[in-house]
Amino acid sequence: MRRSTAAAVGTLTGAALIIGVRLSVTPPEAPVVAAPVGNLADGTPAPKPSSKKPAASGSKEKAPAKQKETAKPKSGLKDGVFKGDAAANPYGKIQVTIKVEGGEITDAAATFPTANDSATINPPAIAALKESTLQAQNADVSAVSGATYTSESYVKSLQAALDAAKA
Amino acid sequence: MGTTVSIELGEDRPDLELRGLITSVCDWLHEVDARFSTYKADSEVSRFGRGELRLEDASADLRHVLDACADLWRDTDGYFDAYASGPLDPSGYVKGWSVEVAAARLLAAGSHDHYINAGGDIRMRGNHPDGGPWRVGIRHPWEADKVSWVLALHDGAVATSGTYERGDHIFNPRTGRPAQGLRSVTVVGPDLSVADAYATAALAMGEAGIAWLSKRAADGYDSAVVTDDGRAFSSANLPAAV
Repeated sequence: MRRSTAAAVGTLTGAALIIGVRLSVTPPEAPVVAAPVGNLADGTPAPKPSSKKPAASGSKEKAPAKQKETAKPKSGLKDGVFKGDAAANPYGKIQVTIKVEGGEITDAAATFPTANDSATINPPAIAALKESTLQAQNADVSAVSGATYTSESYVKSLQAALDAAKA
Repeated sequence: MGTTVSIELGEDRPDLELRGLITSVCDWLHEVDARFSTYKADSEVSRFGRGELRLEDASADLRHVLDACADLWRDTDGYFDAYASGPLDPSGYVKGWSVEVAAARLLAAGSHDHYINAGGDIRMRGNHPDGGPWRVGIRHPWEADKVSWVLALHDGAVATSGTYERGDHIFNPRTGRPAQGLRSVTVVGPDLSVADAYATAALAMGEAGIAWLSKRAADGYDSAVVTDDGRAFSSANLPAAV
């Protein structure tokens, strides 16, 4: 386990070094788009949804994060969010961002080119999922897809209501 | 498998024929349950899991299921794991696969317009009886009587994995802890067993699953995701109804 973590850090450091070397090439100006997890860069909390949420669930999951921060970092990495310099390659510009917590890299994200040749080569390969407002509709549908219900919860499901309406 | 299956046939055919088709689908699904349920001690899967059945003596179906689980384990970086909870449990693949087989049998029996919904995972073909596409709602993760997306499709599969229905039953195989970060993951694509495995894997990954799913779009698997804090994400080619 520990060994593989070290290897992962090594790889990221390697990537950062390569990016540093590539900086000597003048990067062409190209618009970049953040990967889906990319909003770790500014660290701003996600916008709160308008729809209702359960009051009880979720509160118990938050606790363990604090302990890690007080642990002494063994890797020599400082906590925080770090952005690598933009690197140019023949297909466009890439910028890597990492998040360090308790001396460990906990997240990594890269921005990808959306213009030049890459706009046609990259998507849909790395086309990010788009964020939108969560809807709550009363829709006219034939069937409902949802997390697997038990026989008991089926009785209360929208699919059961649809089935009853058709029977 | 302890769930409910809804079947709708869109064809204008004699009642007796339609009932015969539905009976054959139900018979097949009950057969799969008897052979592949991990809750039944005498099922083929349970006997294989205990080492009482050798691989070379297993049925072609079980060998197919084991192969497919191994392929999906590789395709999902290990996040779809038939051994995630300890002993062999290929249910995450078996459900989608058994519905795929049932739908293929319906087609072979001359049914071109149908859907089968097995506990929220749906395989459909052809047209709704009104001649248009099938309209599939994706359940809102907090409001059971609402939908958060409506899809319109003629042929394809829609699978959803979520933490809202049965609690923490999806585990991150890397940490051994319940998956967190994503509340609901829906994958739409040509094959229900693959769509279901991808949805389960992404849910296990947590928020990193959003980036992972975006790469599956190139293979024809689109997705719609809701995070634990209520943010919604969807891929560009998700077949949303207009």
